[in-house]
Amino acid sequence: MSTSTIEKTVHKGNASGGGLARRQNFLTGLVGGIIFAWLFWWIARLVGDQSSRSFSDLTATSVTLGWLFGFWLGIGALNGPFRWLIGRDQTREDQLYYAGENLGVSRYWKFTTDHKVVGVQYIVMTMVLLGAGGILAMAIRTNLITPGNHFVNQQVYNSFISMHGMLMILGMIVAVAGPWANFVVPIMVGARDMAFPRLNALSLWTLVAAAALLLTTLAVGGLPVGWVILAPITNQAGVGMDFFAMAIVVFTVSTTVAGVNTLATVVKMRTKGMTFTRLPIFVWGSIIAAALGLYAFPYFLLAEVLQLMDRNFQTSFYVASGGGTGWLQANLFWMMGHPEVYVILLPAVGAIFEIAAVMSRKPVFSYKTAVGGMVALAGLSILVWAHHMFTTGWAPTLGGPFMLTTELISIPTGIFFLVLIATMWRGNVWFRLPTLWVYGFIFDFVIGGVTGIYLSDIPIDNQFHGTMFVTAHFHYVFAGSVLFGAVAALAFWYPKVTGRFLNETMGRISFGLTFIGIQVTFISMFLSGLKGMPRRYSSYSMLFEHTNFITTIGGYTIMAGMLVLLAAVITSWKHGEASGPNPWHANSLEWMVPTPVPLENFDVLPVITEDPYNFAEKVDH
Amino acid sequence: MSQSENKKSLVGFYWTWGILTVVGVVIGLWAPGRFMPASMSGNMHLSILTIQVFTVCAAPVAAGIYAATLHNIRHDRWRGEGVPPAAEAVRGNTTLVSAWLIASSVLTVFLLVWGLGALAVDNSSTGKNPLVVDVTGQQWLWTFHYAGTDVNTTQLVLPENREVQFRITSDDVTHGFWIAQMAVQVDANAGVFTEIHTTPDKLGTFDIRCTQFCGLNHSSMVTTGEVVSPQNFQKWLTSQPATI
Amino acid sequence: MNRSRSIVVALVSIVLGGAVLALAGFALASATPHQKALECVSSGANSCNLNFSVFPDSLAGEHGSDGGPHPDWVSYSNDDLVVPANTVVHVTIDQYDSGGSLNNAYLGTVIGTIGGVAKIDGKTVTKVDPNNVGHTFTLRGMPGNGTPILVSVPLPADGNSGTPVTLGSGQYAKPVVVTFSFKTGSKGVYEWNCEFPCGGSREGQFGFAMSTYGYMSGTLTVR
Repeated sequence: MSTSTIEKTVHKGNASGGGLARRQNFLTGLVGGIIFAWLFWWIARLVGDQSSRSFSDLTATSVTLGWLFGFWLGIGALNGPFRWLIGRDQTREDQLYYAGENLGVSRYWKFTTDHKVVGVQYIVMTMVLLGAGGILAMAIRTNLITPGNHFVNQQVYNSFISMHGMLMILGMIVAVAGPWANFVVPIMVGARDMAFPRLNALSLWTLVAAAALLLTTLAVGGLPVGWVILAPITNQAGVGMDFFAMAIVVFTVSTTVAGVNTLATVVKMRTKGMTFTRLPIFVWGSIIAAALGLYAFPYFLLAEVLQLMDRNFQTSFYVASGGGTGWLQANLFWMMGHPEVYVILLPAVGAIFEIAAVMSRKPVFSYKTAVGGMVALAGLSILVWAHHMFTTGWAPTLGGPFMLTTELISIPTGIFFLVLIATMWRGNVWFRLPTLWVYGFIFDFVIGGVTGIYLSDIPIDNQFHGTMFVTAHFHYVFAGSVLFGAVAALAFWYPKVTGRFLNETMGRISFGLTFIGIQVTFISMFLSGLKGMPRRYSSYSMLFEHTNFITTIGGYTIMAGMLVLLAAVITSWKHGEASGPNPWHANSLEWMVPTPVPLENFDVLPVITEDPYNFAEKVDH
Repeated sequence: MSQSENKKSLVGFYWTWGILTVVGVVIGLWAPGRFMPASMSGNMHLSILTIQVFTVCAAPVAAGIYAATLHNIRHDRWRGEGVPPAAEAVRGNTTLVSAWLIASSVLTVFLLVWGLGALAVDNSSTGKNPLVVDVTGQQWLWTFHYAGTDVNTTQLVLPENREVQFRITSDDVTHGFWIAQMAVQVDANAGVFTEIHTTPDKLGTFDIRCTQFCGLNHSSMVTTGEVVSPQNFQKWLTSQPATI
Repeated sequence: MNRSRSIVVALVSIVLGGAVLALAGFALASATPHQKALECVSSGANSCNLNFSVFPDSLAGEHGSDGGPHPDWVSYSNDDLVVPANTVVHVTIDQYDSGGSLNNAYLGTVIGTIGGVAKIDGKTVTKVDPNNVGHTFTLRGMPGNGTPILVSVPLPADGNSGTPVTLGSGQYAKPVVVTFSFKTGSKGVYEWNCEFPCGGSREGQFGFAMSTYGYMSGTLTVR
């Protein structure tokens, strides 16, 4: 049932709609979650076998399940299915209430189905996840400023590195796709909402439930296993591991729901004339990533379900003494883990292409090649996972084939650079805030890409694998490239969300600090890696003293940049310079609707006759 | 020069490209020797050589992208007031795309051929009278047993110019066995043996570091070893007390 | 917002955010369990004595007589040890726990002590039965300069019976007393732990007490 079936958008008030949802919000969700968590804990202790070695794990797993169901119930996620079950499906008034009509700011705290509200909620969730990950990064760097664990002890440190990795990865997965595939993609394709608005709200609040579980991990014994959750060391961790595994299960539900929704919206709900070759390129980035996510994340779910089985029911999927192997976990993890890199990267690349075209007042260069490159990259990415396992000893004979598929990735990646530079080449490049972050993206992605070539080569990987070189490489890709893409997207679409520009001066200060910080941090980290410093070391030899000190200073600089960005986002929301509905004079549909975007987006669905990159014939709105 | 003429002149671009390429090549040739641990095996020579070759291949590409970006920032930046006008709409260029694809494919194929060749060399074994060492990783310690002897040690001693075959396993969780000066690395997994081999070709000490996260004291799972002459190795081996 | 005001807001956000983070970091560092260090007691020029114990539970050591959060976990009485550089350290460990087999029989050997020996209840040995070990004291690490150190001494299982002694809130049979000496190198932080699988969990028995800071492992700081 989707609100898009409602033909007219003129409704006044929702006095009769909503039912139970009128009294439900994030707070009731929290209360419901805590009550059910406690209830499940109580039941688990009552029926569980206290002498069993799994007792604490079973209790913890029950608590997480209780939390999820209680949260869903409390926030109202299950109202719709329940009413459908008892034969009293939601009325139009109910749906309008759920869409947040006339609810003001309170709709951001509710199970709201409007895709624009969900988009804003995703912006906040992204900032929460990346912020928490960033704070842990500062703690890690503070501990590494000198050798010897002077800040925290090695156990706390080990938990921090795992949590930093996981929070950042989850934050990066939603950083571009979460806010913008929700906020702008439906408008871009000319739809009144996502295909499944209730699932859209479900994906967001399920992510919140997962994030809560993930953060609780730190309070229940931590996650001292490393972020790749390599078995069998996971069997030595306490109940934090159960919380973590359930957080991943819940997170996978969230991304699956979100991915299906994005795909269905673009496939089924494009307006008249919006052919696949007229889609704004960001839409392509989003749907390829969504499709890839649907393939990739179930492996993660499976990996963590097997983990939970081992811990709760004493199976031996990952326990060598019981006939299992950690290689199973490693394979499952990386079959998710490598496609996931492109689930993260492709929306950012799509956004960068979009911004580059609009800002240089030129069409995306060779649109079909660009889309082809993204599809090729997504396709290749499912065939390369074992390059993370070159040195594990698993299947050495597959080294050559996996090296081949991995190095082929250079070709579609090269296409991105060609498209990006040829798009901006001889354009009239408008030097506004989003443009700066696009240039930052190019600079960092070259370094991230080139250093990847070394790691794809087995003789070199035998030296670099497991060292800080790898850490620096993928931070250039994530922090240097995807984060820059995400900020570019934020600066680009912020006026559409708020009607105001993101503060240009603060944005530039933030760019300067972050850009310099990234180079200082990760170039010195490359040097640590070249010198031979392994990853995940809480303390290190004096050989690596200077490079680590420099890395920490760079890390603090990035944090300063991010703090300024946060200040810019907060202060510009109410006090920024007014932007009007189409500040960048672009042609894609999201700029054709008023700001703030009305509920259901369009009075009359538009008819599309060409792609949005014809800037010359643009009619001024 | 008007702005449009200025836009067409690519002299600056070529210069920047050339200079950046040279800088990249120089850094690529110099940095491995400057920063990486001193090589003590053929595998390490090969790794360093491959890094240098790959850098030489990648430098022109990276430099080209940087030079183009700099040229773009310098010449295509809109300096007027307000919204820039539309630029000439170039929606594609089959020649450029084909040339780019062919060039990047040729480079990739070269890297692949080199890489597969290097892999074959890296894996090749002389097969002549190798010294077999059983390596056991455990939380948070390496122990070494010389096959065919009663000798166990926690500090590895290896003879120069003789192939060493490591058979690696773990008593508990997964560890990563890596000799930082010899570019050989493989995980120690409970219940199975993984194998690597290398031939130390230089006297001196080397570092063994655990590269797979293994818990509380992972960062202390480091030790050193020494490459000695074959005569000294025999002397050392016979002087070791039988253990266990 | 005009430019100068934006710059002020940016600066304030850095200072304020940095201050909040620094405070949080300070709070975290103070809240992180760093046990009180046990200093080596000087016993003449370039030598000193370190005495500590290892128990089958946590009732008598630094976790207090209530045993802390895990009273039933095995524990060393002290975790963080401080010794001077280039000094001979005479260590005495009272071992109160029962025992079993090591994962790696080689660690039944005394490694890295002066003379390669240890004294067990006064008797000089170079190795013990690897199937009757209570715990080990295994010290290693690399401060980056000087020779890396590895000292590993097996502590045999305590087979004594008779009148128990009361320490803290625990009662224990007479301990096995193990003494050995080693020479410290240059300054730095080294780590030590027990290598006897005494922590539970399914792979290697290195979970719980073995994987938790402050029970069966610690640091040795060379000053």
